[in-house]
Amino acid sequence: MTLSSELSSTVSLDAAVPVGAPAECREWLARVADLLIPAAGDMPAASEMDVAGRQLDIVLGARPDLSRHLLRGWRSTADSDPQEAVRLLQDLDAEAYDAVRMVVAGGYYIHPHVRRLLRYTGQEPRTVRVDQVPEYLEEGLLERVMERGPIYREA
Amino acid sequence: MEQADVLIIGAGASGGVAAGALTEAGFDVLCLEQGDWPDPADYPAPRATYELEARKQWSGSPNVRNRPSDYPVNDGDSDVVPLMYAGVGGSMVMYAADWPRLLPSDFRVRTLDGVADDWPLRYADLLPYYERTDRAFGVSGVGGDPAYPDGAEPPLPPLPIGQTGLRMARAHDKLGWHWWPAAQAVLSVPHAGRRACVQYGACMQGCPEGAKASTDVTHWPSAVQKGARLLTHARVSRILMSKEGLATGAEFVRPDGTWDVVKAQVVILAANAIGTPRILLNSAGPRHPHGLANSSGLVGRRLMVHPFANVMGYFDEDMASWQGHVGAKITCYEFYETDTSRGFVRGAKWSLAPTGGPLNAALPTRAGHDVWGPEHHAAVRRHLGRTISWGIFGEDLPDEANRVEIDPALVDSSGLPAPRITYKVSDNSRALLDFNIARATESLQAAGAYDIASESLMRYSGWHLLGTARMGDNPETSVVDQFGRSHDVPNLFIVDGSVFVTSGGVNPTSTISALALRSVEHLIANRRSQQVPA
Repeated sequence: MTLSSELSSTVSLDAAVPVGAPAECREWLARVADLLIPAAGDMPAASEMDVAGRQLDIVLGARPDLSRHLLRGWRSTADSDPQEAVRLLQDLDAEAYDAVRMVVAGGYYIHPHVRRLLRYTGQEPRTVRVDQVPEYLEEGLLERVMERGPIYREA
Repeated sequence: MEQADVLIIGAGASGGVAAGALTEAGFDVLCLEQGDWPDPADYPAPRATYELEARKQWSGSPNVRNRPSDYPVNDGDSDVVPLMYAGVGGSMVMYAADWPRLLPSDFRVRTLDGVADDWPLRYADLLPYYERTDRAFGVSGVGGDPAYPDGAEPPLPPLPIGQTGLRMARAHDKLGWHWWPAAQAVLSVPHAGRRACVQYGACMQGCPEGAKASTDVTHWPSAVQKGARLLTHARVSRILMSKEGLATGAEFVRPDGTWDVVKAQVVILAANAIGTPRILLNSAGPRHPHGLANSSGLVGRRLMVHPFANVMGYFDEDMASWQGHVGAKITCYEFYETDTSRGFVRGAKWSLAPTGGPLNAALPTRAGHDVWGPEHHAAVRRHLGRTISWGIFGEDLPDEANRVEIDPALVDSSGLPAPRITYKVSDNSRALLDFNIARATESLQAAGAYDIASESLMRYSGWHLLGTARMGDNPETSVVDQFGRSHDVPNLFIVDGSVFVTSGGVNPTSTISALALRSVEHLIANRRSQQVPA
């Protein structure tokens, strides 16, 4: 089995099904993730948000293409401490470095607790209200643009 | 083998408009589309993983998506990566729906500024078609914009400009600079059986509400109901010709590798400014060794892509700047028209867009950079919801060295030769962008930005593909006439962005659609004199 097929063959497109990232890979990823996103103020560290556990399953469910590069990054730096691992990937394997950042940040920022802490409410439907007079009209901003006159060239 | 009065190649913006007009007039229409019908349930907007999917499966680049229905483009020798989507609705499925028109001066750059070429038509010729396509697609906005002549009133009320738009409107009020709520092909109210926008802020990865206009929801359903035949997963390899020099149809291939032919009296190319020259060049034969409809030598040349810069301001207040429609909250045309004292000709249009969710704050795709370690959280909070970005589209003047060719080695999933593009940003464009970056910086500072980041050229910004089969009156210097009819092959038409003479400095889909309607209605009106194969 190749390095890529070891992981990608067990990656499911269903985010609810755990993927087959080896335990050692997840342990390595948790250490690297905390280096990239440590705890600070009210924000938890990446590993506290399970970026190497369930969040990894969700990320790779949505982005199975990342698994190959993640696994290669782990295999090639498993013996290094997290700082050295990140430095090596930056220097030697841009695709693996990109995949690690995407997996860590992706898993972290799709976690509902992190989104609540950031007060992020994107991707939620909100009906457009067209029955309210926009502030720019109330303040006369648009009127003043019109008063300045045409700015296009006659042709 | 299928037969039709009219064969349309490509089911995107111009193909949909053409099919709508032709079926309405009673023509028997068949369209070959290499992609599939998009399924709104696939669109990632409502999913938590939206931002992750936007960078792969829903990337604008066919080379990144790498779906079987996409064809690869060798863009290694291009400053800008071309972006597009293969499927019913075409690249409209993934566009931002910013819906400005060209301006009167855009049609007269040779006369006014001594550069490039004039178009064989004027703004006034296109005005009635703009008005009709605005209604058909459902355009929201505010009339009376002094950047345009009268007659540019969008049919639907404006979308909200949000806190970011209001802040910048106040800043431009102080500066005395132009701003205006942007015309968008996104519904502010229900229209023609479609629902209004619910502000997912994810327009460029497909609109699950159907509020954003794309021909898979605005034109194709009724065209099919009226009898148009739309064959998906049908990739055209070449246009077929008669010995009399007329187009007789096209050969196409299905994903399973089976080949077929469609015969037609008239052939319309609507495959975008890379796909259309690709098909014409792949249709080379003994009688036209340099490609079909190419006696001028201009097929594939004069590629224009609108080099794009962006400038982002950082603010103390949380303005929820991820929210709302993506195309533009407001626009600015203050620096659109030529002022030679600036050291360049022509100008740029600015668009104020949302600045993305938390993943984009951590790994910015536009201006800004990622920060890791102890400062990571502060960097994300600095960006998320607290940034405002001006996107700057500069006019891209035509240059014959910027071109689409057939790559000698690259092929698509069907084994058909794929295109390669060569594109370099010109000195005029560079000076134009630098000037506008400086003005956009002043704009954001006037609005209270405490810091500014800019991206002087965004490589993944080739949304606007134009000019590779230009229109004109002279067959020696143009590929088609002002109605899209090939000078060389009188029953072959091109109705996509390939026909643009110059690019203007605005998003082109509004103009592509209006031109397509004008061309096809001219074809319909002149059907009795149309040459067709025996």
